[in-house]
Amino acid sequence: MDLSLTTYLIVGATFVLYIGIAIWAKAGSTGEFYVAGKGVHPIANGMATAADWMSAASFISMAGLIAFLGYDASVYLMGWTGGYVLLALLLAPYLRKFGKFTVPEFIGDRFYSKTARVIAVIALIVASITYVIGQMKGIGVAFSRFLETSYELGLFIGMAIVFFYAVIGGMKGITYTQIAQYCVMIFAYTIPAIFISLAITGNPLPQLGLRYRWRWSVPAQHPRQHPG
Amino acid sequence: MASNQEQAAMAYWKENVRLLITLLIIWFAVSFGLGIILAPLLNNIMIAGYPLGFWFAQQGAIYTFIVLIFVYVFKMNALDRKYDVYEK
Repeated sequence: MDLSLTTYLIVGATFVLYIGIAIWAKAGSTGEFYVAGKGVHPIANGMATAADWMSAASFISMAGLIAFLGYDASVYLMGWTGGYVLLALLLAPYLRKFGKFTVPEFIGDRFYSKTARVIAVIALIVASITYVIGQMKGIGVAFSRFLETSYELGLFIGMAIVFFYAVIGGMKGITYTQIAQYCVMIFAYTIPAIFISLAITGNPLPQLGLRYRWRWSVPAQHPRQHPG
Repeated sequence: MASNQEQAAMAYWKENVRLLITLLIIWFAVSFGLGIILAPLLNNIMIAGYPLGFWFAQQGAIYTFIVLIFVYVFKMNALDRKYDVYEK
């Protein structure tokens, strides 16, 4: 079996899986659409959130930024992950106790202010558009490479698939497809990282590879002490 | 006079805010403090072969963030139990 056929089969199978999950998890009510009927296990929810963290933007763009900018790109790493701390400490617990569906709704009701709600909406739109631009760029690049089409066509096909399972399944569908994506991506991330580290340094732990080379490893160039 | 229940709610909120402030100070200190502001200084120190400031920016801060979230969850659950507002 040649490589391109294998790729088509594997990627095709994952899409069938995602769309299958969306149809299985079809939302029947507003509550199901926005908060998955509140019936998602915390660990499952954590997996879905993690899939957001390591989606196209980090998989393609952030890896590239860090490779090219070195230390200067650390702000993306710290900002990306540091934001989760703010979210977990300052927003999530209260949103949950308040029982509202969306962040602007919560902010508007909590502070008795339409202005606060509008500001929250604007902040949300700015943040999501920035995020979506990164994601869509990633989808376009990945799909055009994978299907050997133009960038635009790849983008449209990718968007159509995402749109389909987001609209049908709502938050429940998205949560469960994200869990499936989490499993796929964990493998897609760690296996290359471990094998690249093994190939270059002989040490399977990428975090320590450049420092603790194992004896039988090929001598590689000296690690860059301070990429910046 | 505030009722017992109100007093308990106030005490709960006070402990909650104190926990938040402590964790956010650590959050700020490891990322902006050690990873950016003090990074040039810390880079003179090599720990296990990595310049320390660089290590904090690329790995240390993130490990700390994850620990912070777990600490928050455990502390808040304990606090909820202490004030009997724990939800299953």
